[in-house]
Amino acid sequence: MRLRFLRAPHVALLCCSLLAGPSLLGAQTPRDTVIGTPTVPLAPGRVAPSVRGIAIDERIAQDAGVRVGDTLRIAAEAGTTGEPVVVDALVRRSADPSEVARSEYRVRLHLDHLQRLTNAIDRVDRFAVAVRPEAGPSAVDSLLAGVNHVAFGFRAHASRDVAVESSRTFQVVDRFHRAIGGITIVASAVFLLCILLLKVEERRRAVAALRLAGLSRRTVALSVIAEAAVVAVLGSGVGAAIGWVATLAVNAHYQRVFRTPLTFALLTPRIALFAVSLSLVLGIVAGALAAWRLVRTPPLTLLGR
Amino acid sequence: MTAPTGNRDGTPLLEAHDVQRRYEAGESTVHALRGVSVAIRRGEFVAIVGASGSGKSTLLHLLGAVDAPDAGRVIFEGRDISRLSDAEATRLRLLRVGLVFQRFYLMPTLSALENVMLPMAEAGLAPAARRARAEELLRYVGLGERTGHRPTQLSGGEQQRVAVARALANEPALLLADEPTGELDAATGAALIALLQRLNADGLTCVLVTHDAALAQSAQRVITMKDGRIVQDTGASPS
Repeated sequence: MRLRFLRAPHVALLCCSLLAGPSLLGAQTPRDTVIGTPTVPLAPGRVAPSVRGIAIDERIAQDAGVRVGDTLRIAAEAGTTGEPVVVDALVRRSADPSEVARSEYRVRLHLDHLQRLTNAIDRVDRFAVAVRPEAGPSAVDSLLAGVNHVAFGFRAHASRDVAVESSRTFQVVDRFHRAIGGITIVASAVFLLCILLLKVEERRRAVAALRLAGLSRRTVALSVIAEAAVVAVLGSGVGAAIGWVATLAVNAHYQRVFRTPLTFALLTPRIALFAVSLSLVLGIVAGALAAWRLVRTPPLTLLGR
Repeated sequence: MTAPTGNRDGTPLLEAHDVQRRYEAGESTVHALRGVSVAIRRGEFVAIVGASGSGKSTLLHLLGAVDAPDAGRVIFEGRDISRLSDAEATRLRLLRVGLVFQRFYLMPTLSALENVMLPMAEAGLAPAARRARAEELLRYVGLGERTGHRPTQLSGGEQQRVAVARALANEPALLLADEPTGELDAATGAALIALLQRLNADGLTCVLVTHDAALAQSAQRVITMKDGRIVQDTGASPS
């Protein structure tokens, strides 16, 4: 269904999902936030007021300069006069990655209002049924089975199944990110090893002098490994700090671009700890390899004799 | 001053018996030492001189258990050190032999004091004792006021004096120096020679390899080498 937003100087296309339920503000997803003044739900048998209330996307409000209490006109078909409505509430969209790139606007109407406006009195695309919190998964499954047994022309799904279905794209993205992470770790390990080998090469003569002064292979190897471990931990710590600042910048930028509270980049303490731990392991391994190479070489060879 | 230890009883501290050393250089063999025999007595100040390639540095390395001869024996304090394992040779150098090189090879991230303390830490000396001795050694070499300076904050002469102090860390019986004035100007070289003479006067046995005529003249005994053999020894014991 398309609605024309008549008040705005420009013509905005609105995509509206039919919402089932007694309340105007029956949110499409449970996490959508209603801001502004919500309308009192229609009680059964109660007569609807002559000018109906609607809820609009916060985006429309921002783009068109609409506020709660403003009167607009809406119509089901472009070019028609439409009818006046009052903005009763603004809806801020939830942080849903599947909707982040969608730029359409949304308007929410009372079900009876929407049915009349669209001349679709007996038609809905979908509706949600909430169950009591105390109802367990088995009760939901039993209910679904009962509904689907008698359903004709529609099918009921548990919200968790819908979530799994709609998140498959993100599972692929997640695997893709893991692959990138794996490649990054391997590349970082090679880089770290190369850096350590270079550092060790720079110190061949100094290490040779220490060996000639009586420092054992074990002492030299341990010092190289310890230095590598410290460098790796400090480097990963600094990297995590830079990463954290980068997540702030990335989130601020894309949240502004897409007008969503969605978190695009995330650095949790667990991720930081994993990064530092992994870096420590890589540093020790790289240090051990570099040290092994160093202490195997006779001191005079290290001195270039 | 208590830094160097040693005595001048005239007994051999170090003896080389017909030592030979050769290197493979590509397809050819270089005979660096062709059967060298020499005895260094306790308290001697010996300079080994000779042209480049004459074998003097190779001899120094064999005397200090840095390298092993292909043939012959090296006896240090009555012990054959020519067939030591790497660990044994390393331990010997740590405790009984001090080495100084043309380049100073100090650890750049450590202070002068820490550089001197390194061999003492390896030897297991207690932290307080190693600090006290390192400070004493740095005072001895004239760097008592610069213990906290890093090598980059020191002049070449000062760095070489730190290297000497490091070589003396574990009270060695023998100090071996390979071109110790090679990187120093005349004035700082002279100061280092004076320091080495003072060390020897305090009882330390010193063996130096040098091209420096002034340093060679300051030695009690000069061994001249050519083509892997000793051609002159001003202080050889009559056999």
